[in-house]
Amino acid sequence: MSPADPGRAVRPWGWYVLYAAVMAALGYGVYAAAQRVDYNWHWERIPQYVVSFDGEEVVAPFDGFVKLADDGRSLEVESLRTAERVRIDAFDRVLSGDGDLVFEGDAIAMRSGIAAGPLVWGLWLTLKLSALSLLFALGIGVVAGLGRVAHNPAARALSATYVELIRGTPLLVQIFIFYFFVGTVMNLSAFTAGVAALSVFTGAYVAEIVRAGIEAVPRGQMEAARSLGLSYPQAMRHVVLPQAFKKSLPSLAGQFINLIKDSSLVSVMALTDLTKAGREVVSSTFSPFEVWFTVAAMYLLLTGALSIWVRRLERRLAHD
Amino acid sequence: MTEVLIEARGVCKTYGNGVAALDEVSLTVARGEVVCIVGPSGSGKSTLLRTLNAMEPISAGEIRVLGEAVHDRRTNLNRLRTRVGMVFQAFNLFPHRTVLQNLMLAPRIVGGVADAQAREQALRLLDKVGLGDKHDQYPGQLSGGQQQRVAIARALAMNPQIMLFDEPTSALDPEKVGEVLDVMKALAAEGMTMCVVTHEMGFARAVASRVVFMDAGRICHVDEPQRFFDGSGHPRLQAFLGQVLQG
Repeated sequence: MSPADPGRAVRPWGWYVLYAAVMAALGYGVYAAAQRVDYNWHWERIPQYVVSFDGEEVVAPFDGFVKLADDGRSLEVESLRTAERVRIDAFDRVLSGDGDLVFEGDAIAMRSGIAAGPLVWGLWLTLKLSALSLLFALGIGVVAGLGRVAHNPAARALSATYVELIRGTPLLVQIFIFYFFVGTVMNLSAFTAGVAALSVFTGAYVAEIVRAGIEAVPRGQMEAARSLGLSYPQAMRHVVLPQAFKKSLPSLAGQFINLIKDSSLVSVMALTDLTKAGREVVSSTFSPFEVWFTVAAMYLLLTGALSIWVRRLERRLAHD
Repeated sequence: MTEVLIEARGVCKTYGNGVAALDEVSLTVARGEVVCIVGPSGSGKSTLLRTLNAMEPISAGEIRVLGEAVHDRRTNLNRLRTRVGMVFQAFNLFPHRTVLQNLMLAPRIVGGVADAQAREQALRLLDKVGLGDKHDQYPGQLSGGQQQRVAIARALAMNPQIMLFDEPTSALDPEKVGEVLDVMKALAAEGMTMCVVTHEMGFARAVASRVVFMDAGRICHVDEPQRFFDGSGHPRLQAFLGQVLQG
């Protein structure tokens, strides 16, 4: 909370009116600017890419030939190479013809219903990517942060090197290195390489936040814990780190919001995250303005939820 | 024959810039003794106290506490420290834990004491320092005097044989000093072996078995309180007493 201006009565509502007026003016500015360029807005094209009413695809389980039943209610897929055959009847619309050669994963029929559109799938991948990376980054960051404040010179030098290397190179370059070099050497999937790159990158920043948090805990806390007979690791775990964590929660939240946004860079790998999904939707709708506004809103959804959650956590931990 | 619990011999501590914080300090404390260490600020009294449980390293000399060489690398310091309680000027309670949890932390983690037993002991100790009703509060909700009494109870929770007090009342408002000194007096009356760095001359006079005067990293004078305060000691002690007893 910012300190109140002493000696001046606070009349907040007037400022909220000003805020609303400025926001409205900005909104109108965007609208007016959009009117001036020769652009046809087609917001109606967007919802189908968020939620699809086309239904779900029924895909071929293996390579083979499609045999349609006469009544059109069921079909069979005969394997190309083995004697295997499978009967499918849970669908509403056939996409393939009798005798068609289909390959594993091809859509052969549609089942009606509501399904997630490509943007929601992208959002889901971004969420998975960010959540996993957050966990790993927290682990890496705590270990490296402890290394930064350790007495052991080797631990200190190692963590310092890690932090400097990672902070000194662009994330995009690190992603390329993880995807093309580490991924190839260790035979990682694009998703694993993406999580690894994001965790290692964010971990370096978390390490610095953890270090600052530990240094912000008064020395007397460690001394009191040690004087009671706790070992250094016990004192860290039970006394210093919980307090450091609380102190660094706002910075950590900022870093993890960055992580969600940075995850858009993994779209350079063969990963259909929210940004990549957006690009694909743009190429099929030719409506870049609407798509990118939608994608931005979806990112805001994730980052906003994280902010709210962290603020709640802060409030719950505030008792001293 | 009295049993010696603390024995410091020829202890020196020199900082990197050549300044000697402790210069050939020797001191023995027997079981049941209350030794008060007084002296001007910067005289090395807190440093001496902190070397007794290896909160500060030393440059030369030897310190044996409860028969163990404190500054020997082979000594299990964590185990030794459970037997030597320490109370700090700034209380250093754990702000993220309740009063009860502050007292239970070390017995549970270090002592391996069961939850129920640690809790029972903690409540008993809180009663002893007159704060049984505050067990669910957080340290930030207590006054300075109450916090320091909790800190004393926390140090007692490991059942130490020696208690070290590092200026326990210096950070308190004047009207809160008495309640802390009362707890310390009660502890002394039970026969606890205590080393107390303090500016409270009244406490030293009333409770101490011996009073130690330090100046410039050296022990200048050691005596029973009666003779210590009668003004016949070392000239620098006389000057010091003249200053502190004026007010």
